[in-house]
Amino acid sequence: MNIIEVQNLKRVYRATNGVIRRTTKEIVAVDDLSFDIKEGELFGLLGPNGAGKTTSVKVLATLLIPDAGQVRVKGLDIVKDANEVRKEIGFIFGGERGLYWRLSGNDNLRYFASLYHVAPEISKKRIPYLLELVGLKGRGDERVQGYSRGMKQRLHVARTLLHDPDILFLDEPTIGLDPVGAREFRDVIRNLQSEKKTILLTTHYMFEADSLSDRVAVIDKGLIVALDTPSALKKHVRDLSVVEIETFGIAPNVVEEIRKLPFVDSLSTREQDHRQILHVQTERGAEAVPDLMASLEGMRVGRVTVREPTLEDAYVRLVGGKA
Amino acid sequence: MKTINNNLRLFWQGTVLSYVALFAWFRPVTYIASKILMPLAQMIFFTFLGSYASGGSNVDFYVIGNAIQITAVSGIFGVTMSIGGDRWAGTLAYLFGTPANRMMMFFGRAFMHVIDGAFGVVIALTWGALLFGVDFSQTNLSALGLTILVTTISTCGLGLLMGCLSLITANVMFVNNTVYFLLLIFSGANIAIDTLPNWMQAFSQILPLTRGIASARILIAGGSFAEVVPLLTSEAGIGIIYGWLGYFLFKWFEVQAKRKGSLETV
Ligand SMILES: Nc1ncnc2c1ncn2[C@@H]1O[C@H](COP(=O)(O)OP(=O)(O)OP(=O)(O)O)[C@@H](O)[C@H]1O
Ligand SMILES: [Mg+2]
Repeated sequence: MNIIEVQNLKRVYRATNGVIRRTTKEIVAVDDLSFDIKEGELFGLLGPNGAGKTTSVKVLATLLIPDAGQVRVKGLDIVKDANEVRKEIGFIFGGERGLYWRLSGNDNLRYFASLYHVAPEISKKRIPYLLELVGLKGRGDERVQGYSRGMKQRLHVARTLLHDPDILFLDEPTIGLDPVGAREFRDVIRNLQSEKKTILLTTHYMFEADSLSDRVAVIDKGLIVALDTPSALKKHVRDLSVVEIETFGIAPNVVEEIRKLPFVDSLSTREQDHRQILHVQTERGAEAVPDLMASLEGMRVGRVTVREPTLEDAYVRLVGGKA
Repeated sequence: MKTINNNLRLFWQGTVLSYVALFAWFRPVTYIASKILMPLAQMIFFTFLGSYASGGSNVDFYVIGNAIQITAVSGIFGVTMSIGGDRWAGTLAYLFGTPANRMMMFFGRAFMHVIDGAFGVVIALTWGALLFGVDFSQTNLSALGLTILVTTISTCGLGLLMGCLSLITANVMFVNNTVYFLLLIFSGANIAIDTLPNWMQAFSQILPLTRGIASARILIAGGSFAEVVPLLTSEAGIGIIYGWLGYFLFKWFEVQAKRKGSLETV
């Protein structure tokens, strides 16, 4: 069943400049988006800066009125039934703002619980449970002022779960977190998945989208350029297997010879303390390794790896960059 | 019954927490300073200045006027911070994303400031009795209490409107200081209104505080409750009008923000 239905969504921002000669500039943030999200699905929304991800999330979260198109959440219209929709959804925009820094974590949650009409006797039990769920157990009495960025972002997750919504919109929830923090945060998201939440996630981290999403939509300039499962998207770039070869003091003319080999799609080198790493993109994958090694006859060679194309390779190709 | 009870508890919780969350002076030392020392300073300044300029016979006039005027500290500055503070906290998007009743949210923000403001007036009047010998022996104290409450509520009504302006404009402190200053002059706290030019008198009549101060002066001088009822009714009416204007502006702000995309989230 489709719990979220987006049909031909369009949203334009109008920026007026000047006092005497008013000029209005129109920015089409979301041009024409259509997609559905199934119940319990984690749907990744990817796209370059300015693609329209946050704008889409704001429309879904009832914070922005669409210019055209229709969005339904659990069959409810996000414009006409906004207040009903709000009871069914939770949302966070990445970053540490949006909390009352003067209040403790507990009090922030109590305040938002009152805004979501969560009865005090329920929130009394739910707040400690949520703090534990997001890994803030025992820190609820401290003022948010003293929280680290990661702690604030976790508190946002707890905040948005107070009324136990079935649907969550997470806009770059791991932005600005250190690698360990981001990994722990992904575990929190996995917890939510196991609680059968339907989640729309935007992120710039491809491995994050790859490891969490059931399906991914890649958007650019407000339009969908691809929509599929991560593994299906990677098939688009099957021809882009990458062979990485570690060499020591390779001569430039040898690099040029390899570049001219018929099965080499493209080649780039990266210098890394006295080593040169060759990235060879080839359709032949592992089969290309013996021929490549033959060209390197007599040279010192370190580690050789062949890797599958990542979602990032697919993404870069889709949004038009050069790998 | 249970839902009413729950709603009341939610209202109370939201009210108290938003007060602590958004009101910058809620640190013990600054709070005490703003509640006890600042009213004292204002009263001493205007009472000495006023009675010196006018020949010293009417200390009570200045003491009472400034004591009631103190409520504007909570009513204007406090309420504005409680409404406008969300803009700085970046919480607007999260607030407007909740299904909370906007009217409760809006008026709830002023609730604690009413208590706070009334308390401030009581302290200021106490200073008046202790330092300037204002005599309450002829005063109908419960009528004076009602006057303080009504005046505080109506001043908070203006504060709610100012708070909404602060959501829309950036230069809030300037506007607030101007309003506070205008109230000092036009509310009759320091200048007898009937000595003002006509157009200024007209302006006084549309401000909160004016009738509250007049009512307090009458009551402390021994007047009866019946004498001040018309003043208090109008004072309350003015406050309600400002409060509702503020509420409509608040609703308008939310709608505009959803149209234009001007709820800053980052
Ligand atoms: N409030 C606004 N007023 C005017 N233009 C805006 C506003 N918000 C976004 N835009 C514009 O709309 C376009 C889409 O922005 P949006 O924030 O949705 O992109 P995004 O995909 O979330 O980007 P990012 O990855 O950088 O977060 C951009 O061109 C942006 O400049
Ligand atoms: Mg964004």
